[in-house]
Amino acid sequence: MIDVPTALALLQYGDSAYPAGGFAFSWGIEGLIADGLLDGRQDLDDFVWEQLSSRWNSMDRPLMARAYRAGDITALAAVDRTIEGATPSRPMREGSRRAGRALLGVSARNGGALSLSYRAVLADDTCGGHLPVAQAVVYRDAGLELPSAELVSGWTMVNGLVSAAVRLGSVGHLEAQRCLETARSGLAELLAEPVAADAEPWSFTPLIDIAVSRVRCRATRLFTT
Amino acid sequence: MIEAGKTSATATAARLPAARVGIGGPVGSGKTALVERLIPALAARGVDLAVITNDLVTAEDAERIRRSGLIDPARVSAVEAGACPHTVIREDPTLNIEAADELERRFPGVELILLESGGDNLASTFSRDLTDFWMFVIDVGGGGDIPRKRGPGVVRCDLLVINKTDLAPHVGVDLELMHAQALAVRDGRPVLLTNCRSGEGIDAVVAMLESQVLFRA
Ligand SMILES: Nc1nc2c(ncn2[C@@H]2O[C@H](COP(=O)(O)OP(=O)(O)OP(=O)(O)O)[C@@H](O)[C@H]2O)c(=O)[nH]1
Ligand SMILES: [Mg+2]
Repeated sequence: MIDVPTALALLQYGDSAYPAGGFAFSWGIEGLIADGLLDGRQDLDDFVWEQLSSRWNSMDRPLMARAYRAGDITALAAVDRTIEGATPSRPMREGSRRAGRALLGVSARNGGALSLSYRAVLADDTCGGHLPVAQAVVYRDAGLELPSAELVSGWTMVNGLVSAAVRLGSVGHLEAQRCLETARSGLAELLAEPVAADAEPWSFTPLIDIAVSRVRCRATRLFTT
Repeated sequence: MIEAGKTSATATAARLPAARVGIGGPVGSGKTALVERLIPALAARGVDLAVITNDLVTAEDAERIRRSGLIDPARVSAVEAGACPHTVIREDPTLNIEAADELERRFPGVELILLESGGDNLASTFSRDLTDFWMFVIDVGGGGDIPRKRGPGVVRCDLLVINKTDLAPHVGVDLELMHAQALAVRDGRPVLLTNCRSGEGIDAVVAMLESQVLFRA
């Protein structure tokens, strides 16, 4: 069971109002809607589950765990380099770095010790600062255990996706709550299964990857990804 | 487990951070036009500049400034607002702060960063964590009664700019009255009039930035 202080920390870090710029990322939703490939609640449920099961759980989560367990800054940087090398889409890489660096920046400005030292390293490293690594660093600074860190990581992703879909008019505010409920049970199922420490990261979300990669081709867009 | 170590030499190298100046205001009031007037005027005074735009839907303003020939295009950054123009300058300005830090890192001598908000409503205000000074641009064409509506943007900004003074006779606005009412709702805090089409009034805005932001005599 999660104790009350931890639960309250989860509410703070998992809140969509946590100021790390998450509202500017749609991770493919904007592109899919523009191309007529995502419309309504069922599509959004499917999209969120694809992100959760075929990217977050198999790629972001094990890499965040690896970064969380990293023994030193060099090991952290190695995880960053793995993500950089394993993410072929440039807009996806840049999005992950921008989101990660923003999160790290908030924690560092509020005095998070590890966030401060890793952020200083990133001043000279243009390839690092990916979101899973930043989450590991920031949630360690926040005193969260790994399972709690994984929970916040999964939840902030789900919350961000559904809120982007609301702003893009794909679902209404009530439908959005039902999407969140569906996503919650999916996330709970995934979290119940711990990730092996030596898990090899993989992802397979081809349609989403293409949607994110096409972001630069669009004359009008509201979101970074 | 990792211990927080010393920060790297480059990150701590002594360097004065740039002043960050926000420019907010309703859609079409002339924020970009003001930026286009301020760039050459500040450059002529030797101020090392960079610009961030928060375009709402397109990168149009960023591109317009990059192509203007007034400034090195690399010194213009665009930050997307995810359909939330005031979140990105107030509740969650982190992406703008990161963009400003990045400009400072790439251009170590930069003294002033102008940050244009996406067009918004009269309630939009900048976070003090993001900007050192912010102006709010309204225009005569929006109506002479805008100051009287006491929007937080109009009341709380450091400098209220009333732009498009040239339009006053065409839209039936009594400019003197509008100016006086603006000063009244702001308890006498600064209000300047500009015509960004002709450049009239820009010198006064620059003088204010020099004294209030750059602390030049
Ligand atoms: N007559 C007149 N027109 C002006 C003046 N300043 C700007 N304009 C015109 O007003 C229109 C809008 O100006 P912008 O500078 O794009 O306004 P903005 O506030 O940046 O607009 P958004 O970024 O879309 O919110 C343009 O057509 C400008 O040429 C002025 O002082 N007088
Ligand atoms: Mg503009």
